[in-house]
Amino acid sequence: MANCCDRSCLMGMYAAASLALGFNQSTLLELQTGFAWMARNFVPTGGALANLTTILYQLWRTFVIAVAAAGIAGVMSLVIAVIGAQNIGVRNAGVTWLVRGCASILRNIPIIAWALILLFSFKQNELTGFLALFLMNLGFLTRAFLETIEDFDTNKFEALTATGANKLQAICQALLPEIAVPLVEWLLYMIENNVRDATLVGLLTGTGIGFLFDLYFKSLNYPAAGLVVLTLIVLVIGLELLSNQIERRMSA
Amino acid sequence: MRSLNQLIRDDAGTVTLNGENLRLLNKRALQRARRNIGMIFQNYNLIDALTVVENVLHGCLGRKSTLRGMLALYSADERAEAMALIGEMGLSEFAFVQCRHLSGGQKQRVGIARALMQHPQVLLCDEPIASLDPKSATLVMDILRQQADNKQLIVVVNLHQVAIARGYADHIVALNQGAKVFDGTAAALTDARVQEIYG
Repeated sequence: MANCCDRSCLMGMYAAASLALGFNQSTLLELQTGFAWMARNFVPTGGALANLTTILYQLWRTFVIAVAAAGIAGVMSLVIAVIGAQNIGVRNAGVTWLVRGCASILRNIPIIAWALILLFSFKQNELTGFLALFLMNLGFLTRAFLETIEDFDTNKFEALTATGANKLQAICQALLPEIAVPLVEWLLYMIENNVRDATLVGLLTGTGIGFLFDLYFKSLNYPAAGLVVLTLIVLVIGLELLSNQIERRMSA
Repeated sequence: MRSLNQLIRDDAGTVTLNGENLRLLNKRALQRARRNIGMIFQNYNLIDALTVVENVLHGCLGRKSTLRGMLALYSADERAEAMALIGEMGLSEFAFVQCRHLSGGQKQRVGIARALMQHPQVLLCDEPIASLDPKSATLVMDILRQQADNKQLIVVVNLHQVAIARGYADHIVALNQGAKVFDGTAAALTDARVQEIYG
């Protein structure tokens, strides 16, 4: 009974939404034309391979910036999160609120907005791209680490302070080993995310793989653009496989 | 138990060790005093991600400088002592195994080794055998009794099992619903007395 109601509800909503937007159902039939065009134009041809070295070089630069932004933001976020966590750190409600608030602002501004803001000061530069990624990462990782730390069992922390260890020692010897795996998972996720965002940011800053894609696209060199996309896919899949390996080794 | 080493700060009464009232100590003095008090817990409270020997070495953090403690820079003597304690616990073959792979009884023994690493005068045991099967429980209690005798430790154990208390303790304080109902030697706690107290 409930199932039937759900289905008709959904169909009703779909019909209403299509009507409101002026969506013409027949365009759905043209999906295959779209895909066919993509297949014809975007598939990298032999000629496109001439650009491979340029593409790989820019991909490398983009990757390095992604890793650097995540890495540096990671270290800073860890310190900030330890200070601001409710169960460890200074344990002041005001500090926690401040840390969460700032992290929220940093990560909720869209990356494009960050890039545009920073363009004014730093111009079309790889530094602009790095800074945009770094600031967003700082916000995101602080929040992620705060959650991870607040999940931590404080009894273990207590056990160490009961031996006479001071807070800093307890943080390094109890907290960090226990949260090491989630921490690395977050970092790897951030690097992957950065690679994707870097393409977007590169469009604006005129550097990296994003710029290259834009260049080929605008000059109607679709096969080369397709090659860029392909290399990006390979990189992201490679990162995924690498992070699985690392996680498996760390949890063993 | 937690008010004995002030993990919970209470507001009345005195806890005196070596002439100083622990309740009145400031943070730094309390930290220094805690080196003298080892503690083991019902849930072991070990760092599962680290190996047995690394956990045991945590016992000497109280004696080390902050930096060396943070970076886990232990001296050769400290490592040797940790390995010796692990041997005493019968866990030598597990010395480099991560604690997540150990059984309950083994984890509790690591906890005891960690506490002994502090060279304490007092060992507080908060429900040490509540999560253990009878065989492991006997093993742990045997070890506690042995260590108390060999190292002249004051061992304070918090238990629900009256029989075990009578089997191992020299002195028993019995509580019923928060009130002290018996305070005397284990010999004086006869079956009749137990019946009286707990019905």
